[in-house]
Amino acid sequence: MEEIKNALDFSDFPRLDLIVVGLIAVFLLVFPVFPHSSFAMATMIQFLMFSIYGMGWNTIGGYGGQVDLGKAQYVGIGAFTTAVMLIRWDIPFWFSMPIGVCFAVTWSFIIGYPLFRLKGHYFAIATIATSLVLKDLFEVWDLVGAARGLEISPIKYIPPDFLRLIFREDIYYYYVILGFFFVGILYVNWFRKSRLGFQLRSIKDNEDMARSLGINVHLAKVKTYAIATAFVSVVGSFHACYIKNIEPADTMSLDISILIALMAMLGGAGSLWGPVIGAGILIPLKSYLKDWLGAQAGLVGIDLIIYAGIIMLVSAVEPKGIWGIVEKVRRRKRS
Amino acid sequence: MAFLEVHNLTKTFGGLKANDDISFTMEKGELIGLIGPNGAGKTTLFNCISGLHPVTSGRIIFDGKDITSLKSYEVARLGLARTFQVYVASGDLTVEENVMVGCFMRTRSPSQARARAYEILKDLNLHDLSDSMVSELTVAAQKRVTMATALGSDPKLLLLDEVAAGLNPNEIEEIMGTIRHVHEGLGATVMLIEHVMELVMKVSHRVIVLDSGGKIAEGDPENIANNPQVIKAYLGERYVREHGGEI
Ligand SMILES: Nc1ncnc2c1ncn2[C@@H]1O[C@H](COP(=O)(O)OP(=O)(O)OP(=O)(O)O)[C@@H](O)[C@H]1O
Ligand SMILES: [Mg+2]
Repeated sequence: MEEIKNALDFSDFPRLDLIVVGLIAVFLLVFPVFPHSSFAMATMIQFLMFSIYGMGWNTIGGYGGQVDLGKAQYVGIGAFTTAVMLIRWDIPFWFSMPIGVCFAVTWSFIIGYPLFRLKGHYFAIATIATSLVLKDLFEVWDLVGAARGLEISPIKYIPPDFLRLIFREDIYYYYVILGFFFVGILYVNWFRKSRLGFQLRSIKDNEDMARSLGINVHLAKVKTYAIATAFVSVVGSFHACYIKNIEPADTMSLDISILIALMAMLGGAGSLWGPVIGAGILIPLKSYLKDWLGAQAGLVGIDLIIYAGIIMLVSAVEPKGIWGIVEKVRRRKRS
Repeated sequence: MAFLEVHNLTKTFGGLKANDDISFTMEKGELIGLIGPNGAGKTTLFNCISGLHPVTSGRIIFDGKDITSLKSYEVARLGLARTFQVYVASGDLTVEENVMVGCFMRTRSPSQARARAYEILKDLNLHDLSDSMVSELTVAAQKRVTMATALGSDPKLLLLDEVAAGLNPNEIEEIMGTIRHVHEGLGATVMLIEHVMELVMKVSHRVIVLDSGGKIAEGDPENIANNPQVIKAYLGERYVREHGGEI
């Protein structure tokens, strides 16, 4: 009971925030009703997906301070579990999604257990490595379609198919992912006030101190990593049904991993709204850049330069990102 | 069986014997001062007892249990809390949240942890600072916050590592009050490392002295203050030869 109350309790935020959040929530709910281009719709869906990836990243990376640059491997596990199960055995999304989460979480234990013995940058690098290794494995694994990947052919189903998540119009996908988005926010709102959330923040603050307060640091990290993984895997499964054509090279690319981490850091690692703010800035930016760059040959790669610039800016100006700046200004005003 | 027993504890770092064959016991309700010159091995002793460092040899019994090879979080859960000599707060937690982390050792419920943290902060006269960031506080206040955090876990034995270092006389007076309150009011058994002699000598029932890793003396504060070996350790051989003298 207390758990549910905590998930729904946002009272530690100032009134202004709650008004802004309320307005944004209403906007998200009614957005599809208004006239919009399919490009805008696709961008909004990407924004919601990446917000959820970022929320997952934020539990271990933000609250726990364990920078993870390998989230794409869990996108892949979720996506390919759902695609394989649907194509081969006609198992619908709502069944394959939790199974994908189980696979992803199991994999997260297998690599998290040894990797969390590593500190700081070594951990970040190791997550990149495991993600790339898994991608390479998928690229030669026939069950998941090897390098060509898998294609979910919509012709076989009669949309709208809510069980298999096969739709013709994007609006359905929009509302499904919006539902996950709201659940994600509530979960992280609970998490940040929970015992595990406090333990993670204490670990980030000072590991020896955390240990002396009875915290099993290694276990807390492994647990939280599994939570982060579940978030990512769910959206990975959704991704398979939404995109329908998935290849390891795209779905599990390093770009995805970096973008996830970058968004959360830009918006504010270790804050509830950070990943959403980050996704709200970077996803439209990415979409428009891609659109624009498509027309300008020779400028490919400039998006990476922009991302690198953002990373440097964030770490130099305010390591806690945009939300960190907001909080700092507020603190100054109060005192 | 004593409350805390340390038997022949040795800890080496490479060739350095940071703790050399140290033995002592401590009864429930005692307040022991641990003193010694810089580098004597005091913090190392705390690190070994609290499980942060594996010991090289020796045995540690706490409340009837052999804790020699337990991890520090396991030792903490048995009721042994400590503060750190050097504590660097990353600036992510408020005072109240910091204390709540300690309280979460005994409860899963955030509201219970918050209520307990509030009690402790009020008790230590820190509740005005509840919403401040730990990193923004003065050293004196930070030290009291680390004590409050340790108390959050309801410890039976509390190890305090130089909570008065770097404080002015008023602040020392204040923290001395806090230590007494924790010891007498809350009934914790306390061991404290301290360089501030007037504090150690005033509050301790018994004082243990380390020098170069070994225990060189143990006794009531009066005896220790007049012990030639202790004076020699602190002031050097030559000073003693020339002045005789007391600390
Ligand atoms: N982790 C470590 N690795 C290597 N040597 C260490 C380590 N910790 C302590 N030492 C060494 O062990 C010796 C004892 O150090 P310790 O910190 O226990 O002294 P101390 O009595 O607490 O001194 P101070 O009063 O300055 O705090 C010192 O020579 C120190 O350099
Ligand atoms: Mg020390």
